[in-house]
Amino acid sequence: MTGSPRPAPADLAAAAPAARRLPLGSILYAIAAAGIVLLAASVTVNGYLLNILMQAATYSVAVIGLTVVLGLCGQINLAQAAFFGLGAYAVALGTVDWGLSYWLCIPIGLAISVVFGAFLGASTLRLGGHYLAMVTISFQQIVTLVLINWIPVTHGPDGVPRIRRPDLFADGQSYLAFCIAVLAVVAWVVWHMPRTRLGRAMRAVRDNELAAGVAGVDVYRTKVTAFAIGAFLAGLGGALFAGGFAYVSPDQFSFAESIVFLTMALLGGVGSPVGAVIGTGLLILIPEWLRFLKEIPGLYLAIYGLAVILIVVFMPEGIWGFLGDQVKRLRPKKPAPPPAQDLVLTQGAGQSAQVLQVEGLSKHFGGLKAVDEVSFSVARGGIHALIGPNGSGKTTTLNVLSGLYSPTGGRVRLDGRDITAMPPHERAAAGLGRTFQNIRLFRSMSALDNVVIGAERPGNDSVARDRASLEARARAALAFVGLEARAGEPVSSFSYGHQRLIEIARALAGNPVLLLLDEPAAGLNSSEKHALTGLLRRMAARGLTILIIDHDMTLVSDVAAHITVLNFGRRIADGVTAEVLREPAVIEAYLGQEAAEGPAAGLKSDLAPA
Amino acid sequence: MRTTRRVFLGGAASAVVGSVASPFVSRAGHAQGAGATTRIGMVLPVTGPGADAGRFALNGAKIALEAVNKAGGVLGKPMELVTEDDQTTNPGAVLAFSKLASQPDLVAFIGSIRSTQNHAMAPDILKTGKPVAFGGTDPVLTQMGNPWMFRFRPNDSFSARVIAEYGVNTLAKKKWAIIHSTDAFGTSGAKALTEALAKAGATVALDQGYTNQSQDFTPVVLAIRQSGADVIGSYFTFENDLGIFARQLRQLGVQAPWVGSASIVNVTALKLAGPSLYNTFGVADYAEESSDAARNFGKAYRGVMKLAPDNQSSWTFDAVTVLAKAINAAGKTDPKAIREALLAIRGHEGAEGTYNFDQNGDGLHGYNVVRNDKGNIVFDKRIDFYQG
Amino acid sequence: MDLVLQLLFTGIGIGAVYALVALGFVLIFRATNVVNFAQGEFSMVAAFLMVVFAVDLEWPYWLSFLIAIGGMALLGALFNLGVYYPLRHRTYLPVIISTIGASIFLANTTLALYGPQPQVLSPVFETQGFLLGPVFLDSQYLLIIVVTAVLVAFQYWFFEHTLIGKKLQATSQDKEMAALLGIPVAGMIMLTFVYSAVLGGIAGILVAPVLFVSIQMGATIALKAFAATIIGGFGDVTGAIIGGLALGIIETFGAAYISVPYKDAFAFIVLVGFLILRPQGLFGERIAEKA
Repeated sequence: MTGSPRPAPADLAAAAPAARRLPLGSILYAIAAAGIVLLAASVTVNGYLLNILMQAATYSVAVIGLTVVLGLCGQINLAQAAFFGLGAYAVALGTVDWGLSYWLCIPIGLAISVVFGAFLGASTLRLGGHYLAMVTISFQQIVTLVLINWIPVTHGPDGVPRIRRPDLFADGQSYLAFCIAVLAVVAWVVWHMPRTRLGRAMRAVRDNELAAGVAGVDVYRTKVTAFAIGAFLAGLGGALFAGGFAYVSPDQFSFAESIVFLTMALLGGVGSPVGAVIGTGLLILIPEWLRFLKEIPGLYLAIYGLAVILIVVFMPEGIWGFLGDQVKRLRPKKPAPPPAQDLVLTQGAGQSAQVLQVEGLSKHFGGLKAVDEVSFSVARGGIHALIGPNGSGKTTTLNVLSGLYSPTGGRVRLDGRDITAMPPHERAAAGLGRTFQNIRLFRSMSALDNVVIGAERPGNDSVARDRASLEARARAALAFVGLEARAGEPVSSFSYGHQRLIEIARALAGNPVLLLLDEPAAGLNSSEKHALTGLLRRMAARGLTILIIDHDMTLVSDVAAHITVLNFGRRIADGVTAEVLREPAVIEAYLGQEAAEGPAAGLKSDLAPA
Repeated sequence: MRTTRRVFLGGAASAVVGSVASPFVSRAGHAQGAGATTRIGMVLPVTGPGADAGRFALNGAKIALEAVNKAGGVLGKPMELVTEDDQTTNPGAVLAFSKLASQPDLVAFIGSIRSTQNHAMAPDILKTGKPVAFGGTDPVLTQMGNPWMFRFRPNDSFSARVIAEYGVNTLAKKKWAIIHSTDAFGTSGAKALTEALAKAGATVALDQGYTNQSQDFTPVVLAIRQSGADVIGSYFTFENDLGIFARQLRQLGVQAPWVGSASIVNVTALKLAGPSLYNTFGVADYAEESSDAARNFGKAYRGVMKLAPDNQSSWTFDAVTVLAKAINAAGKTDPKAIREALLAIRGHEGAEGTYNFDQNGDGLHGYNVVRNDKGNIVFDKRIDFYQG
Repeated sequence: MDLVLQLLFTGIGIGAVYALVALGFVLIFRATNVVNFAQGEFSMVAAFLMVVFAVDLEWPYWLSFLIAIGGMALLGALFNLGVYYPLRHRTYLPVIISTIGASIFLANTTLALYGPQPQVLSPVFETQGFLLGPVFLDSQYLLIIVVTAVLVAFQYWFFEHTLIGKKLQATSQDKEMAALLGIPVAGMIMLTFVYSAVLGGIAGILVAPVLFVSIQMGATIALKAFAATIIGGFGDVTGAIIGGLALGIIETFGAAYISVPYKDAFAFIVLVGFLILRPQGLFGERIAEKA
């Protein structure tokens, strides 16, 4: 309806990293949007069309809010109509009852929506999925009931008539033009959001919360922010709507309307503001368009319901998702980027010699002591291995170290700083990087974007915060693991082994003080393992400190200078590799099982937890 | 699978094209028919919870339309009704009305029986500048300075005064319980009733609102029992709420007389609530035995629909009849002339009562009181407040 | 005291209705991890089927009942094939939207076929109810409470003591493992939808004499039943029953002692409280969903 915003071509920036990026696409978009706004203001349309366009423009703003919450951040919100209503009522009551200026009412409405959105998000976003769905439904119902029953303030079900528009846009057409202009701005901002730091954080949270956390993304704050932005846009749409229709009443902001908003977002394609505009336009037009079926009551809504099912089944990414794929295919390939720079891994000098100090660390699950009073330290530079039989508490230790579990007791210091009580993203900011045994990448993004999120790690001062530097850093990290040539490909197109390398590159790009590797060799074939050994050595050669967990004794004894051995959650050995591997307790607990129990038992040693 | 997908997507694509073009197509279509008939628009619920009422409204209008056309139509041309579904929602009503209003050959409109929808449409009505006959009974609607809104049912200030007068003077009950829906209709009715009762010297022992589509009224009924009220006044919007309340009221042993707003005597309520409503009183804008005009309408309605007539059809019947009369009196379809002609109408005997338009656009000023006698609605008396 | 007992009876009666509908929610959720937003429409469709056969065609009540239940079983099967099955490998969101679409479709198809008028379905018993001391016991509510209890007992027996019930449980706990064990997973899910539709249908037929038969009857109950499901803990049958009853009682007493117009808000305030303070529900074990 407003023309599709096209992304500014990133290749221009890449071709001339020093020059300021020329936002050609944005300029074209601004011209097109201005044209449409002028058209809306000047071409006289009848009242019916005006109402439809007004509804479409204002609803679109709210639906774009869902693009942010649901599309970018992956959180469901079934109360969008309630936030829409809060914005609308702020303008309605403000202009009618309190005699405030329209321009003052809009920020008030937005503030109310954002406060409620953030509050709702803050109190419930620790839950997910269906629970969040229920809380938002509840909020929606409560808002509706309050609007209906708090008659002294809201006028109750009568609604609020005679809402005034600002004098500047008193006429219907100029107001429509104003709404479209706002929509154009909102669409432009949200279109560009995925490529901002916040947008990347949201996508990371949507794709994989755990990985986002250890990569330095504050998952909770990101979700609350997304929720608040969604509420903000709903409030904005509602405020515009109130001025457009001059009358609001509670039934316009009911649960059913929230469902309509959600359907609009999904129909058009939840990933993009263009989809939101398409979906909104269609869902406003379809019932209008099916009015000819009015002779039989219910028929056109029945068809509408059926259409919703068919669209969900046949067009999973929505209409724009489907069209967008075709457009992408037509778009010319970007020119090759300049060759990647060498990856710089800096290590702060003059700090304590021990990068990691673990003191009396315990983690109990009910009666099970998964980690029991474990202490060890990791010296700066080189590779330290944490080994032990299955179930010895290695992965639990790693999860406690990276903040996914909170410890039952003990203390963890990173670079002399106590990080025991920190959540994952703060540990990341303090310089902790990690990979996962079962690879956790952001599946909807390219390899490069995955690694850019790593480079963006808060506290990573080895790189400037602009897009070009971050990308250069990410390319350097990908080049370091040997995947630079395929940087632009989606991660799903990589083999398992390569995905593991991307995960390592993501951690490296953040220039960590300490890198935790959770069974990096798991699932790799022997040539991949060999390459991994080389990679580990090269990382160590650059001065990086690595704590590695693995089963593969060949790999561990090859690369690690120092080993800590766990069994039954307790530390049974700690020291220089060659010595530790000779200790009888270690042989018995780990290597000796075979010898002690005979060949038949040896076959089982990999399966049976100790 | 592949084929179905392609077929479906193709269909969706043509739907997009079609939907964008349709507003123009339909306009062009209408333009062709213009001139042969005098057309009036009608907004009514075809879908949603009000769909039932919408059908009755359409029936009433159609009967009047037939009579008007049999008598020669308006300005020598047959009269035609163009309808749009309001989906029983406010945005739906706004879109439906503006769709009608965008057709320049429509000379007048019939609005909604629901007050909130008329509120929602009011700005567009003002902009359109053509007479709209409506049935919502919120008194405010004709007091907003909107010159194009004409009410074809008595407003709630009259129903409240009639309920109060009948209860206090005829039934001699002074201790009231007021039960009302919290929607626009219910709250404004209850407010007017409270005022009317205060004037009549009665006390309100309980004023209890409920939200539409409640599933249970036990707490409300128990509150009535506890309040010691000896008479109940009510404003119910939906018949299923009324039905549930009526049954639970009788089950829990409350036998106080009950004077309710119009919904208590409408066809659907009688069917749903059955014996629970026996011996209740209702104020009815339409009562079949109240006048000859009402009887004639009832006869015509029964003849066509094989159903007892009620107020949801009588007001649209009157609206079409009176609009036709006014347009003929004006001698042209100029909106201002029609408006003047409507305001000049005096003593028109309609199915709902005698129409005397005042300067606000209120046509009726009184109500009938009826009694439910074992499921039959019996006319009791008419109370009219119109003073020449 | 009379007042309290009367409110308690009503609360339990309403709560039993919520519980019955909630039971259907829980079964489908356990089998598919999806909330079925069209569950309320199952109740509505069944009630309309009863009106068609028992009222319009005047067939015997028991025969109409069997036909309605058979119709619901068929509807459940079609629902699975058309609304859930094509989306079974996708996330919960598209499935939710699809069930919302189905709910709009069912409600409005019924409207198109049967018209908008609310209908009356007479109760099973002639007598409206009787007085027990000062408390009036509505016979239809008594029936609802009894049937709910029987169905819960049946469900317990079915899931815990029959082979097919155990297969259903295995399917709901781990589809892949169940498939490896040779359990026909698709068939089990089909069975779940059929049974849930039948349950919803029974609920609809039972409440029809109390709430009347209307297009909207399902939606209002379903939303409350949904809340009951959360309070009880998603995926737990006992929880759904307790949640439903608790909700009915809270609503009734809240309406009597706090506010009638805000009656519907109590359910949701309690619900939000539960979600924030005790997200696992009364009986549920899982804390929030896994990342």
